[in-house]
Amino acid sequence: MIVERRLSAHIDWPLLAAVLALTFVGLATIYSVTWNFKATAPGREFWTQIYALPLALAALGVCVAIDYRTLAQRSPLIYGAVVLALLYVAFFGDVHGGARRWIPIFGINLQPSEFGRIALALVLAMYFGDSRRAARSLSELLTAAAMLGVLFFLIKREPDLGTSLTLVPVLLGAVYLAGIRMKWLIAGVVVAALLSPVVWFYGMQDYQRKRVETSLDPWKDPRGDGYQQIQAKVTAGSGGLVGKGFKSSTQGGLGFLPAAHNDFVFSVLAEEHGFIGVLVALGLYLFVILRSLDAARLARDRLGALLVVAIVSGFTFQVLYNITMSAGLAPVKGLTLPLMSYGGSSLVATFAGFGLILNVRMRRFTN
Amino acid sequence: MIPTSRNFADRRGLQSRLLALRIVAIVSCALLAVGFWVLQIVEHDRYLQIAENQHLKTIPLRAPRGVLFDRNNKVLVENTYSFTITVLRDLSTNPDHNVDQTVRLLASVTGLDEARTLEEVRKHRREPLYRPIPIIEHATMAQVSAVMARQLEMPEVVVQQEPTRTYPAGGMAAHLFGYVGEIQQDQLEKAEFSGLQSGAIIGQAGLEKTYNELLTGQDGKRDVAVNSKGREIPALAMGEESPPIDGARLQLTIDADLQRALEEAFQANGFAGAGMFLDPRTGEVLAITSQPEYDPNDFAGGLNRAKWNKLNADPLKPLQDRLLQGRYQPGSTFKIVMSIAALSEGLITPDFKVYCPGKATIYDHVYNCDKKEGHGTLDLRQAIAQSCDVYFYQLAAMMNARLKGIDTIHEYAAQLGLTDRTGIDLPGEAAGLVASTEWRMRTAGQKWYAGETISVGIGQGPVSVTPIALGTMMSAIATGGTLATPHVVKAVDTGAGWTPVPRPASPRPVFPIKPEVLEPVRDGLWAAVNGEGTAFAARVAGHDVVGKTGTAQVVSSEMAKAMAAAKSAVNVRDNSWFVCYASRDNPEIAGVVFAEHGGWGATAAAPIARYVLGTYYAKKEGRPLPTMTVAANGQFTINGAAKVTPAPASAVIK
Repeated sequence: MIVERRLSAHIDWPLLAAVLALTFVGLATIYSVTWNFKATAPGREFWTQIYALPLALAALGVCVAIDYRTLAQRSPLIYGAVVLALLYVAFFGDVHGGARRWIPIFGINLQPSEFGRIALALVLAMYFGDSRRAARSLSELLTAAAMLGVLFFLIKREPDLGTSLTLVPVLLGAVYLAGIRMKWLIAGVVVAALLSPVVWFYGMQDYQRKRVETSLDPWKDPRGDGYQQIQAKVTAGSGGLVGKGFKSSTQGGLGFLPAAHNDFVFSVLAEEHGFIGVLVALGLYLFVILRSLDAARLARDRLGALLVVAIVSGFTFQVLYNITMSAGLAPVKGLTLPLMSYGGSSLVATFAGFGLILNVRMRRFTN
Repeated sequence: MIPTSRNFADRRGLQSRLLALRIVAIVSCALLAVGFWVLQIVEHDRYLQIAENQHLKTIPLRAPRGVLFDRNNKVLVENTYSFTITVLRDLSTNPDHNVDQTVRLLASVTGLDEARTLEEVRKHRREPLYRPIPIIEHATMAQVSAVMARQLEMPEVVVQQEPTRTYPAGGMAAHLFGYVGEIQQDQLEKAEFSGLQSGAIIGQAGLEKTYNELLTGQDGKRDVAVNSKGREIPALAMGEESPPIDGARLQLTIDADLQRALEEAFQANGFAGAGMFLDPRTGEVLAITSQPEYDPNDFAGGLNRAKWNKLNADPLKPLQDRLLQGRYQPGSTFKIVMSIAALSEGLITPDFKVYCPGKATIYDHVYNCDKKEGHGTLDLRQAIAQSCDVYFYQLAAMMNARLKGIDTIHEYAAQLGLTDRTGIDLPGEAAGLVASTEWRMRTAGQKWYAGETISVGIGQGPVSVTPIALGTMMSAIATGGTLATPHVVKAVDTGAGWTPVPRPASPRPVFPIKPEVLEPVRDGLWAAVNGEGTAFAARVAGHDVVGKTGTAQVVSSEMAKAMAAAKSAVNVRDNSWFVCYASRDNPEIAGVVFAEHGGWGATAAAPIARYVLGTYYAKKEGRPLPTMTVAANGQFTINGAAKVTPAPASAVIK
């Protein structure tokens, strides 16, 4: 497929620029926090991320070039491929840190779970793109839930609860936009609220209850369960208004904050560049989200709008949760910050997602 | 193709749902911004504090104490760096920082007990990894080089340098300098040591103690960044470094050559005792000693229990400062006090004569003279020079009859500084004791018996003084009544050059002694040295030394004879004194020599003074300093001068 010249004129350059800007902020933060003072060089994580960038841009290019309607038509194939890859992982995947998540291929460690959101967004968009399906019947919802369920199960058992949880907002975004009745949504919230005490007292083990309590007051166990959350607060809080400066992270750089280049990359940004840096990054993320929602608003069809919202919902949930966690205000879950956190597969998948969003907006006038 | 149209049916509902999503996104981001504002602006200080506590560690840099110089700027006490062999677990290449293997190797190459060393390391296991565990303090060069040679096998072993006080070898002027040691628990609670932490080194004796505040430098510190594993990250030293500031340098009044001469003379004899020489005009102490000495370096290097026990168990009690703290009967040197009292009160004239038949019977009691065959008829000058006891028994009896007896003696002894502390700038000085009726009543609840005054007349009985007070008394004789306040520090340099240590203009009351009182006494003292007197051994050619010997019985003569027969002579030999100043009409040096159980003052104490005085004048006049040759039998020769032979023990017992 070839992008016609007149189509490329409709590419949303500001969105692309903001996405790239956040990617570079992420790269700079990884560079800074993995800096090795003895070797006076950044850590290998930085280089891995650099090598992932061309792949990510290529993925973005492919996702822009092929008409999203074509992709949606083929979405069962894509979904099936991801499921197969996840099944492969389940049996033959590489194990790092106790989790079986990776497929080593051509010298890269591919993490198929990161592509789950894209596959799910595509099949859901295709399913609800038919205007006769407005997510109002139980069978429609169960079908959608089944599409989520297969991926969720396969990813959670890696184990990777954080990544599997990011699939949920993709589904919620899609059914919400598809037209689910508000009373169902409200009913869902009420049921969850009513069930939570039951789960608390009968569904949870002591250690799990303790963990939840610690997340509400991390100082209860500052050296154990509360450690990361406290360190996240200290990291961000010690940054102050303007921050400690580039390569001057003491919390992340000296290893007091674990996963500083990964799950807590935003804490390090807050530490090095202070509240001002936080406002800039947060502003960029908000811009990316709103600009993407614009693409949904402008989409020429229901399919496009659904596709965009499904992707943006997953993205937004991940951004909001991760940044909240970076401030030590949410329980620590293994959830990365899209665009900024270390992780090549995540970068490629995220760029692919934005490729689809650009795709929808670009083709708003075509038939 | 999925059927679509530009205006699909539910576009309006879709748009409103999208708007809701926009609002959710904006509100969420705004809430997050508020969250970060609270964290980073409102609570910033708190979190910055926590962060700094986590990664900034302060390494103290110990400041060297001030260097001590003699009056001619010769270095006496300085600092050298001693080596402490430590284990720094942070440097371990083992993932769990287990250093047992290294400690075993370290113990074997340095000759330590392996089990005990391992135990020592285990005691520190809960401390942070970056904190070095001291294994050997004040390591020998052999140990250091053994460690260096095996460095590759023991990456955790680090040799650190710390400033350590270094005193002259052989314990020179030990009691003057004192020693330093770790601050004690009870000292930590005192206001003067506020701000110090346990482990701090402070002066514990001598002028190290008196001038501790000046000599203590200001410890520096280095803030280092450490990572979460406790490893130092040198490139990230964002903390300040404040270098240690040396303690103030002190210029002492001591003359190193005189100090050496004084100690050399004592040690040639093997006497215990004390000596002090000062400038009678200023109170500047030129030489000062208490014998035997200890080695202050032992304390600087952390005194071990064995050494401490040995010092404490030593029968000669080297830790005791005999000069400041010992109190002894002054013997015949007290005749100076008697003479001044008698002349000042108009009891006698210098020409008052007494016949000495070798003994006197007073209040039905026989008092023996030092010279059994008797001195014949003497006036005051001759009595001082020849140290006739009968003459002074007579004076004491006359004081009982016509003056206030013992209280008159006490009054003059007090004026000459014998009942008080001299106020020297060294710690622990004791006050002397000279009996009085009031003292007897207060301490024993009894009357004073007139008969007791007679022995006080020759410095026996309830009269005991510190050597330093007796030596300082000579400054009053030399200057005509002004008691100097001895002091050992002349100037201080806190970094801006030498500034004199301020002294009160007249710290001690002045009791002018009339010339008609002073001159006959000085004549007698001059004759004692230069005439037909007892102190000929202190003669210095070309200089009018005036002085007085003293020999104070430690036990009664009868008992001494018995003990001598039992061959335990040394402990009962008399205490030997010599007090002096020079020269007679141009006083510039005064002093005291006290030789414990030295025997006769003339033969034990006086030659020591002679060596010091000879050194003083030789140095002043630019002549080669006298030297001393000690023969195997204890005889010593000063600079080829007439031999002065200490009498054998049997001969000096009266």
